[in-house]
Amino acid sequence: MRHALAIALLLLTLAGAETKAVEKTPPRAGEELQSDLSTREISIKANFTGIEILLYGSIDFSQTAVPETGAYDVIMVVRSPAEPLVARRKQRVAGIWINGPGKVFPSVPGFYAALSTRPLRAITSDKTLKLFGIGVGNLDFGRPTEGDPNEQTFRSAVIRLKEKQRLFQELDDGVDFVGRSLFRGTVALPVNVSTGRYTADIYLFRDGEVISRDHSTLEVTKAGFEGLVHKLAFTRPFLYGLLAVVLAMLAGLAGWYAFRRE
Amino acid sequence: MFQIYLPIAEVSVNLLVMLGLGAAVGFLSGMFGVGGGFLLTPLLMFSGIAAPIAVATGANQVVATSVGGALAQWRRGNIDFHMGAILIAGGVVGALAGVLLLKLLREVGQAGLIVSLTYVVLLGVVGALMLSESLRALERTRGGKPSPARRSGQHNWIHRLPLKLRFPRSRLYISAIPALVIGAVVGLLTAFLGVSGGFVMVPAMIYLLRMPTNIVIGTSLFQIIFITALVSVLHAGLSQTLDVVLALILAAGGVIGGQFGVRAGQKLRAEQLRALLAVIVLAVAIRLLFDLVLTPSELYSIVPTRGA
Repeated sequence: MRHALAIALLLLTLAGAETKAVEKTPPRAGEELQSDLSTREISIKANFTGIEILLYGSIDFSQTAVPETGAYDVIMVVRSPAEPLVARRKQRVAGIWINGPGKVFPSVPGFYAALSTRPLRAITSDKTLKLFGIGVGNLDFGRPTEGDPNEQTFRSAVIRLKEKQRLFQELDDGVDFVGRSLFRGTVALPVNVSTGRYTADIYLFRDGEVISRDHSTLEVTKAGFEGLVHKLAFTRPFLYGLLAVVLAMLAGLAGWYAFRRE
Repeated sequence: MFQIYLPIAEVSVNLLVMLGLGAAVGFLSGMFGVGGGFLLTPLLMFSGIAAPIAVATGANQVVATSVGGALAQWRRGNIDFHMGAILIAGGVVGALAGVLLLKLLREVGQAGLIVSLTYVVLLGVVGALMLSESLRALERTRGGKPSPARRSGQHNWIHRLPLKLRFPRSRLYISAIPALVIGAVVGLLTAFLGVSGGFVMVPAMIYLLRMPTNIVIGTSLFQIIFITALVSVLHAGLSQTLDVVLALILAAGGVIGGQFGVRAGQKLRAEQLRALLAVIVLAVAIRLLFDLVLTPSELYSIVPTRGA
């Protein structure tokens, strides 16, 4: 059920992306946004220690009669596919700290970063931020399993822990303008990022309104030996276990043989 | 530098630190002639590896450290295969129960707690017993009196149990029930704690079954190889908690450290070795207890629940 919900959400997001591509820009303003990423694919190998991605783009003023100066803001949102997540709170029982009942949030992005030219609240209204899911406080984690009055504290704990692991980031001055139309921002993916198809959404704001947006994707996969090990462990778990035992025996025998003389 | 990403544990660890950890545990297990799982699993948990992964990987590591010893004992003819088969039969049941129990606890988020608690109790009791025993032995040898020889060959309640079998290699004619129970308990310990269980099995075989000591060492190693291998496969197959990359790093360190440990062990007296091991065991138990009792700096924890 949870799985089906996640797939449905993913399909909705993809469908949203599709329709957006057809509509392209709202006709209200002439400015148009183009953007891209420094990389379209990231492979996580054994030596992966995190990676920095450059997001860049430009505002095309060619359709605009009188380009206004200094009135533009850009927000970049990079996110990985949402996954269910359980949050638990420790409580003291007979002097020992044990995990209390957990709360499952059905769709929490594994990674989320919002970069902007100015603090989010200064750019637009809470309503708009919420509508586009901009800012860690405005994310929709789905409806948690039990209706607990502590939902808000659990929610903020999830955000706090994710921020501590650099899996949630909000960078108020993460986007810089280079000249009048060119802008750029860098986002650092930490070592423990989740895999899947990431999306990068770039929003162009003027006077608190979205006047143009662009969308790109980024594929993060486990590759090389690590990827192979991970795949084998989850698709052929018993074979994987047997291989691990054989390798352990070989390692033990090699050591025994090498140090035998006595 | 030297950071390596573990594919199943999903954490990044320092290669040198993990090699050193494997070597240190290997050194101690070679020195004391123990499997070392009871030190490795808690140390992995201290390094930030989740308890179920530390347990499965610890069990796999015992395979590597025990296989050489088992082979050497087999060549010397010190394995009672009849007894080994009975122990393994019990062990399979215990192992399956332990793997399923840990899987269940992991799903409700209590694996770390219960594994830690069990370790605290087990290491605390075993460490305290060993320490008092070895201190008394040290006292005696200082006094110049030889340690009293244990009377053997006496019949006890074990001999009144039914289902008697003949074990020619151990020159025993006893019930299979105690061996089955010992096997099951050790299997459960291996699956639930990632230990070889030798510290339970060896005394039980000597004092309960009255097997000859040289046969006990060989036969327990034989059982350990089978059960730790089975537990590794079961954990990997049913819970996907075995990290082969971590296991290989630890095995590489452990095999080398073990050889130096054996040499270091030969320089110390048996009572001194036991006292030293008891202190290490108690230190690990106390550290685990501290982690359970001290107020954590972060009360909340989050775990992704991948499509169950």
